[in-house]
Amino acid sequence: MSKNSAAVKSVEQPSLNGQSDRGTNKPRRPDTAERARGKRLDRRFGFPWILPAMIVSVGVLYYCIGYTGYISTLNWDGASPEPIPVGAQNYTHLFADPVFWKSVVHTGIFFVVTFTVQVALGMFFAILLHSKVRLGVFYKVLIFVPVVLAPATMAPVFRTIYAPDGQINQIIRALGLHDFSYAWLADQNTALIAVMSAAIWQSTGVVFVLYYAAMSQVEPELMEAARLDGAGNFRIIRSIIWPGVRGTTLAIAILTAIGSLKTFDWPFLITQGGPSYGTEFLGTQIYRVSVALSQVGYGAALSIILLVLALTVAVILNIAGKEKGARRV
Amino acid sequence: MFEVRRWYTRGALQLVLTLMVVPFVFPLIAMVQGSLAGSGWGNYATVLSLGLLPRFFINSVLLSTAVLVIVLACTLTAAFGFSKLHIRGKELFFWMLLAALTLPEVVLLAPLFATVTAAGAYNSLWAVIVPAAALQIPFTVLLARNFVDGIPDELIEAARVDGANTWQAFRHIIMPLTRPIVAAIVVLVFINSWNGYLFPLLFLQTPEQQTITLVPQYFVGQFNNDQTKVLAAAVLTALPVLIAYISLQKFFERGLAAGALK
Repeated sequence: MSKNSAAVKSVEQPSLNGQSDRGTNKPRRPDTAERARGKRLDRRFGFPWILPAMIVSVGVLYYCIGYTGYISTLNWDGASPEPIPVGAQNYTHLFADPVFWKSVVHTGIFFVVTFTVQVALGMFFAILLHSKVRLGVFYKVLIFVPVVLAPATMAPVFRTIYAPDGQINQIIRALGLHDFSYAWLADQNTALIAVMSAAIWQSTGVVFVLYYAAMSQVEPELMEAARLDGAGNFRIIRSIIWPGVRGTTLAIAILTAIGSLKTFDWPFLITQGGPSYGTEFLGTQIYRVSVALSQVGYGAALSIILLVLALTVAVILNIAGKEKGARRV
Repeated sequence: MFEVRRWYTRGALQLVLTLMVVPFVFPLIAMVQGSLAGSGWGNYATVLSLGLLPRFFINSVLLSTAVLVIVLACTLTAAFGFSKLHIRGKELFFWMLLAALTLPEVVLLAPLFATVTAAGAYNSLWAVIVPAAALQIPFTVLLARNFVDGIPDELIEAARVDGANTWQAFRHIIMPLTRPIVAAIVVLVFINSWNGYLFPLLFLQTPEQQTITLVPQYFVGQFNNDQTKVLAAAVLTALPVLIAYISLQKFFERGLAAGALK
């Protein structure tokens, strides 16, 4: 600011003013000793710069994780002043709990299905919108809009759509099955599909934007050359575009895997994890166990397992990514 | 990308694209249609007449703004420190941050609840703001550090030669040059805290303190599960974000895509 006003004032004598500026509020060229002092200052004063982030983030999060680890060795309802230490009992209980294994299986299915569908749809939209279609921006906005909407806002809509008198059944009735009124959310299998459809609906926009950006990086000369060699559209997608965006595909795999483990909002808000644990995920189970059943110790043990799973998945996928020479995310 | 020469293949592509986009628009149409069922615009009138809706909005704005301020302040200073300053054991600290990248928020449920109740912060926005910020910082620091790494050291050196201290180098070099990544972080953090559900659900008990993601639940209680009014409330809560996205389309797409590349 002050520099700007000085510059404005000194239009007539820019060089002179520049000199005086340097002379008044800035020291002359520092010699080597001064420079070394600067370095030392850095070393002494560097730490305060990362301190706020370390306190707010690492401090809070590691404190909470440590606390969770401690709670996971207790039999505690979350309110009683004297929790009973039970050692590893919560963990042995956990591995014998069929609901836990259901949650793990649902997470696995959720990952495979949402990843496959999102990659297919994302590639499809990115390729088409890189081709000569009209109103590209319009389609882009429509695909991306779900990304910015809260699951909490949209969950009632999905509940309505899949209700016995909802829009899905109305469409099926209009197509000819006149008495069709299936309760999609009351059946374990279709309820899981409903939850996955909501997640896919929301996240495809991100996958699409990532692929769209990655495809802009694929060299046009490569495609030109392939075309001259007689390659058709599908051959070009398979042999040039798909390998060209592999780094992005890996990033999406990590993102979706972690996202699957974190899944909470959609199943909680659409089906509450039901019917009969048919859409239970680790997140919803932890919430149900800790809040509704007041088994806080058991919920903490589940949390620790979830944390270990998330870290393991991230490490494995990152290593896999490095080995294949893809860009680290 | 896809080379189409004949007009009818081009038409077919356009048609296929349109058909594939329909499922993405369908829930939005269902939402508006459902909100107008029964008493039509009367649903909106009923929802608005409750007078509490502005309160939910204000709380969400306060929440998002506070999270944003905390995250930005911590992120920019830390990115500068990690990238350009000498810190003993720097990479160890950085890895401690990165290890928190994959942390699911539900893991923090029990300890946060115990701590928040003990600190008397239950039903206060701070109980949501602090953990929400803590969870976002590792990632925003990673993004910003990568960006600051791209700023040449010589710029800082030159400023130092001209007599600038560390703070001036930060203020006059790092802050102006990081604007693009700050824009991405703002969008990402804003959307995440605006749409956050679990922490408000856990810690905010009275409607006067709640955020817009708890609106549907509130109306389910108020209107005895009258779906039309719940959907009218959903439309009203979705509108501000929609308007923000459509007017700042590029920023949103860039910011949220950057956010995906964890």
